[in-house]
Amino acid sequence: MIERFGELRNTALLVSMFVIAGCGGGDGGGGGASAGAADAAPAESPVDAATAGNVAGMVTFSGTAPMMAEINMNSEAVCAAKHSTTPTEESFVGGENGGLANVFVYVKQGLESLTFPTPASAVVLNQDGCTYRPHVLGVQVGQDITIRNSDGLMHNINASPTENRPFNVSQPVNMETNRSFSTAEVMVPVRCDVHGWMSSWIGVVDHPYFTVSGPDGSVALDGLPPGDYVIEAWHEQFGTMTSNVTVATGETAEISFEFTEAMAGASVPMGEPIDLLHPDGHRTVDH
Amino acid sequence: MGALKVVFRLLGAPFRLISSVMGRFLNTPFRQATALLVFAYLLIEIGIPFIPPLVGFPSAPVPNTVVLEYLVIAVVGILLWVSDNEERWSEFKQPIHDVLVRPDRRVARGFLFVIVPALVAAQTYLSARPDMSAPPSFRAIHPAPPSAITFQGEQIVLDGLENPLRSTGSLEEHYEEGKRVYYQNCLACHGDGLQGRGHYAQIFNPAPLNFQDGGTIAMLTESFVFWRIAKGGPGLPNEGNPWNSAMPAWENFLTADEIWSVIVFLYEQTEHEPRTWEEEGEEH
Amino acid sequence: MRVLPNLRSGGWFKVLLSSRHITFSSLLLAASLPFVPTHLGAQVDGEVVYNQWCAGCHGEDGAGTGPAANTMLPRPRDFTLALYQVRTTATGGLPTDADMLKVINEGMPGTAMPGWEDVLTEGDRLALVDYLKTFSRFFQDDPPTPLDFGRATPETDEAIARGAEVYQTVECWRCHGQQGRGDGESAPTLNDAAGFPIVAADLTENWRFNGGGEVEEIYRVLRTGLDGTPMPTFSDIVDAGVITNEDLWSLAHYVRRLSPEDEPEVREVVTAKLLTDTPLPQTVEDIVWEEAEAFYVPLAGQIIIKPRWFNPRVDGVWVQAAHDGRELALLVSWGDPSESPDTLWADFGERVLTTMAPGDEGSASGSGAADQLVVQFPQELYEGQERPYFLQGDARRPAYTWTWQSDVTGAFESIARGMGTAARQADAEQHVRATAQHADGQWKVLFVRPLDTGSEEDLAMTVGQAVPMAFQAWDGDNGESGNQGAVSTWYFLFLEQPTPIAVYVQPPVALALTLLFGLLVVRQARLGSGMVRELDASARRKRIARTRQLAGMGVGVIWLGMAFGSYQNSRAGWEAGHADLGFWWAIIGGLLAIAGLGALVGTWIHTRTSK
Repeated sequence: MIERFGELRNTALLVSMFVIAGCGGGDGGGGGASAGAADAAPAESPVDAATAGNVAGMVTFSGTAPMMAEINMNSEAVCAAKHSTTPTEESFVGGENGGLANVFVYVKQGLESLTFPTPASAVVLNQDGCTYRPHVLGVQVGQDITIRNSDGLMHNINASPTENRPFNVSQPVNMETNRSFSTAEVMVPVRCDVHGWMSSWIGVVDHPYFTVSGPDGSVALDGLPPGDYVIEAWHEQFGTMTSNVTVATGETAEISFEFTEAMAGASVPMGEPIDLLHPDGHRTVDH
Repeated sequence: MGALKVVFRLLGAPFRLISSVMGRFLNTPFRQATALLVFAYLLIEIGIPFIPPLVGFPSAPVPNTVVLEYLVIAVVGILLWVSDNEERWSEFKQPIHDVLVRPDRRVARGFLFVIVPALVAAQTYLSARPDMSAPPSFRAIHPAPPSAITFQGEQIVLDGLENPLRSTGSLEEHYEEGKRVYYQNCLACHGDGLQGRGHYAQIFNPAPLNFQDGGTIAMLTESFVFWRIAKGGPGLPNEGNPWNSAMPAWENFLTADEIWSVIVFLYEQTEHEPRTWEEEGEEH
Repeated sequence: MRVLPNLRSGGWFKVLLSSRHITFSSLLLAASLPFVPTHLGAQVDGEVVYNQWCAGCHGEDGAGTGPAANTMLPRPRDFTLALYQVRTTATGGLPTDADMLKVINEGMPGTAMPGWEDVLTEGDRLALVDYLKTFSRFFQDDPPTPLDFGRATPETDEAIARGAEVYQTVECWRCHGQQGRGDGESAPTLNDAAGFPIVAADLTENWRFNGGGEVEEIYRVLRTGLDGTPMPTFSDIVDAGVITNEDLWSLAHYVRRLSPEDEPEVREVVTAKLLTDTPLPQTVEDIVWEEAEAFYVPLAGQIIIKPRWFNPRVDGVWVQAAHDGRELALLVSWGDPSESPDTLWADFGERVLTTMAPGDEGSASGSGAADQLVVQFPQELYEGQERPYFLQGDARRPAYTWTWQSDVTGAFESIARGMGTAARQADAEQHVRATAQHADGQWKVLFVRPLDTGSEEDLAMTVGQAVPMAFQAWDGDNGESGNQGAVSTWYFLFLEQPTPIAVYVQPPVALALTLLFGLLVVRQARLGSGMVRELDASARRKRIARTRQLAGMGVGVIWLGMAFGSYQNSRAGWEAGHADLGFWWAIIGGLLAIAGLGALVGTWIHTRTSK
């Protein structure tokens, strides 16, 4: 029973981090990622909470922050009214003390031998003020993503993964649509063709150890079984960085990712290329 | 022996049927002549288009003017036949004569008196009506080539000229190079299938050449094709309507080797053989 | 030995004739008529078929980057992504074999993808389907399940009215525009999955719809979306109860109705209607244009001289014409989403320019030029069929053009001796007036000019005559300018003439003559058979003789008439530079003349001696 409680706590931690991450990118985008916080109850987890450890650290940025272009929403009065200040693009969101937001941090290697249940709850991708809330989100393989239109005008949600099958759904009114991905893929780009400025990224992984940095740049992956891991941090402008960590029971391993100005324009991985010569031997991010 | 007889009998049955039908219905020269004329018409209109595919040429409907011409010949022939002997001639004339004079054919006569002038009047109206069609245009598809051309400032003698790529390097490489040139330059009009049906084809008049057709590159020498590619529409003599052709003068875009390689590609892809100078010589 | 024409001697021209007077070489038409595949199809190996016929555009690796790829927009399909537009499956679903075969068979209208049904055997095409699937591991998954589309609802006026409402509800106009011409506010920002600029379909041209333009096909696209493009699925909103399935069918009916009933037929002659009671229209909105017949002239990219342009926005213009015997009014309408230069579209044009090959020397370096239309005529009508080169004339035969530009009021006349050499005529010599209107993604430009301007530099137009005419159009916001635009080859403008009096006189005369001839024949027959009793034998003979004389003379006159016709054909042939035609018609004419004279003389001799 105690073990069971531990699991629940871990999950709650994860979910709460997720909420922080989800809200991190924006200016209060209407409860975007709050769904699922209540009843995320995985069935059996192979992870023994009593022996688990944590990973925590900072994602920072050094150098001159790129200027984010202003978005002209004059053509969409409904959306423009939802923004108190002129909305800007969100491919770079920095915070205090050099913190870098919207960085997707996840365990890239080290969990190959474990399998994890699919959460029953959905994560929410909200379209509010002609902006995606959150701008970057993570989801587990098979987990529902509830795509919500809160603007009451035409959006289309055009996801173009390479590892998964794509979708392109229209939402001309306030409504919700559920979609999910069957294969791990970091990252799946999402855009709205009606509003060319709208973009979002979805990281799909097959375990619960992922998070998105908030404006303060802090990240934490809790409840990892002891062992060696490769942690990757992904940013849409600066590409990826990896870090090797060793997790010991009850301890918190430190990680730190420092993205720099010079990394801007790096090729941003969007799923691994498909090896045409060995289609059968093709490896997805999960092993 | 009896079985053989039965077989012959069975084989002969259709002919007997035909001859009995003919005996019953085609029993006067007039009816025979009419039947012959109908047969000739069907043969020209439907039968002839079947012939070209038998010898490997594409088929097409016979133009109306040609049908008319052959029918006139058929009528003359039939008239010669019916007037060949006096008896048949008078027999032939009998039903016509009957309609013209016999009181019991008054209805048929009246009918002819209405229908024939009406047809003539209608035809007159159609031909007197203002003609709003385009003026006739004549175009030589394969006009006579010059014996030499100036290609990118250099004189090239076309007489007896062979594709130099056929005697150098690997044909497969020339084919691949020709394919690249074709796809980057020729595709929009002449099409993937080389049938002159690219996505721009319907927009240009005259339509781009169909290389699959046995009447185009298959009956031309490679030097002729080189001339046409190098000089394009603007290089046509007047009988080729240079003002209409959308074929570019490719000497402005391609090297001689690129043109020769695309020629290799055209023949390989369509599995046509270029016409050779020996064949040309044989006709003299 | 193969029997082949002697090319060098010029003795056997292959002459293509469109004249209804001349019958000789018509059989040679066969050479230019549809190709019947004979030798294709021995292969069964999909890879061989693919490499021979598909790799030129789609590449041997299937990634859609063959040699021809960058002369095309949209680009050839990248099979490695397994993103297929034409499907019967849900968005993101794989196509069924039948879906893939449909595209192979019918092609993708409006793109460079042709239909292969009559080029490749069925076995080849099926082998291709299998081979295409090897380019993506997604096809190793379970076979896709097609959606159930049900049956089309009836096409009623109510359904179409409802469809118009649904068009607003689901906001199709965001990309496709209020009138469906692809001019919606989101249209300039559209990209396909590979990041190339893509246009919102012009819904008034259903013959260019990917996946087909009929109601069932439009409905299918609404249900499945066009994967890889911005076109989303509308299935989810039916599932969510926002609209009903019937509404979606109504929308399909409405969209179908935005296009003409049939794909416009291309006709060589544009007829200018003669206005006798109504004044010549001076505006693009004149009621005359609602009645006047519209002629469709398709345009293609200018890919003949440098710099070439493989991605024209204007794929055709509609032409209407009227005249009142003194002036000609020519209305040209075409779809163009913007009034170039439009800042909203500037980026789109730039992206098109960077996307398109071949980048010949002199290619445009930036977008933002004006929209432009050139109507082209020969400067004068030449003897025979000679015309200026269809790209604005040549050194020997200048073209006379009317140029309209979206950033200049009116239009001006020029004389051109080749593309880009147009020299504007002096102000005093400008006679053409033009008014233009841009609305809902369509330009309408009205040109008005006196039939005869009195200037020797201008083409004088004559009623009852066909004048060569050609069109060129540019969309500046699509990156077009200079030689990089859309062009047509020559058409004709025919100014309708008042119906000649002969049309009303000749038929009755012909009728009366035929009747008279019939009566004569019957009378003659009766005489011959002795049915007319009141005449004695000698009188009857005389009458027979006279009738024969008349008939003989008649035949002679008819033959001489035909000889005259042949003479005219012969002369036309010589003048057109076709010595063989001239020669053969001369022979025929000569024979007919001899026959006709023979008939006349023979009749005369015969009837004289029989006295």
